[in-house]
Amino acid sequence: MTTLMSKGATLAVALGIGTAITAGGAFAHNDSMPKGKMTPAAHAAHMRHENFEKLGAAFKAVIDETKKSDPDKALVQKSTKTMTTLATALPTWFPRGSGVEARAKSEAKANIWTDAAGFSAAASASQVQVSKLNQAAISGNMDAVRAQIRATGGSCKGCHDKYRQEKKS
Amino acid sequence: MSDAPSGVRVRLWDGPVRLVHWSLVGLTGFSWWASEDHLDWHQWSGYAVVALVLFRIYWGFAGSGAARFSSFVRGPGTTLAYLKTVSSRVPSTTPGHNPLGALSIVAILLVLLVQVGTGLFAVDIDAYQGGPLSDRVSFDLGRQIAEIHELSFRALQALVVLHVGAVLFYLVWKRTDLIRPMITGQRLLPSDPGLGRAPWWRLALGVAVAGAIAWALSKGLRF
Repeated sequence: MTTLMSKGATLAVALGIGTAITAGGAFAHNDSMPKGKMTPAAHAAHMRHENFEKLGAAFKAVIDETKKSDPDKALVQKSTKTMTTLATALPTWFPRGSGVEARAKSEAKANIWTDAAGFSAAASASQVQVSKLNQAAISGNMDAVRAQIRATGGSCKGCHDKYRQEKKS
Repeated sequence: MSDAPSGVRVRLWDGPVRLVHWSLVGLTGFSWWASEDHLDWHQWSGYAVVALVLFRIYWGFAGSGAARFSSFVRGPGTTLAYLKTVSSRVPSTTPGHNPLGALSIVAILLVLLVQVGTGLFAVDIDAYQGGPLSDRVSFDLGRQIAEIHELSFRALQALVVLHVGAVLFYLVWKRTDLIRPMITGQRLLPSDPGLGRAPWWRLALGVAVAGAIAWALSKGLRF
């Protein structure tokens, strides 16, 4: 009985390792900026990816900090400032032709350009929310920052739901 | 299913096993639905799954007869031998999980562990929502973990399809109803397998410990 059980356990571990290896394939997604020459559109698509990573990282830094009982206000302010700079520049990250045709893994949907007015409005709405978050951070009132996080995240999602198509690696 | 073969009515699946089983069915479906636009609920559902899976693993060592891993997990030899007999059109009389079903149970529990484990650290694309431990990882790593979270859900879906398919195969081909026992807990077997029963305090201990761990994780281990 005991040997049977240990065989079963070995089998279970093997299954687990198999799952982990399969899952490891997911890491292929994260490509860094390719070396060498690129078309301006491909360059824009890669830069955009990096900028969104920075924007996400800055927003996450704010959220992580506000979860603490004693948030680092300076770090929150630094992060919301980064977010403001990036959100302001965001509309310039989408030159025409920088979608999937420029970078296969791009998650930018074609309606960014066919519905340019709608996209522009969504980007502006996000800028407004990020600006409010930044103002709250500058005021030093961390409860105000916490209160503004949901609206800011909602404005990211508002745009993502409509103008982003999720891609698997 | 009114064929009345001679046999003994056996209390096969105890209450905790059945409750965990059907709760996982419900919560898995709910979590899937809530993963799109209701990540708050998705998280709460996930904490419940943490508690259920941890409890079920504990119960696999401390529970009553058929709930125990030692009663159903078999080696490759026994499993292969069973595999050779599985296509024969005779009712199954294994008192609990058969060796193939055992693989299904272990695989589902493992994938569920991966599922909730990655969920604890996963970060949403908007960075706004993340698992309770997501502040321990970077945005980038949190996103990669979220991708594994999705991938392991595909694996879970495949296992569920296989599991349901097998149960239907037993029902239609072998004329063995495995569904009703998982609801009533009772099954008609040729002879009494003499399954042991776990004392109530073991149940209480498992519920308390699994619940406490899930609660601590939901708080991000911050107290």
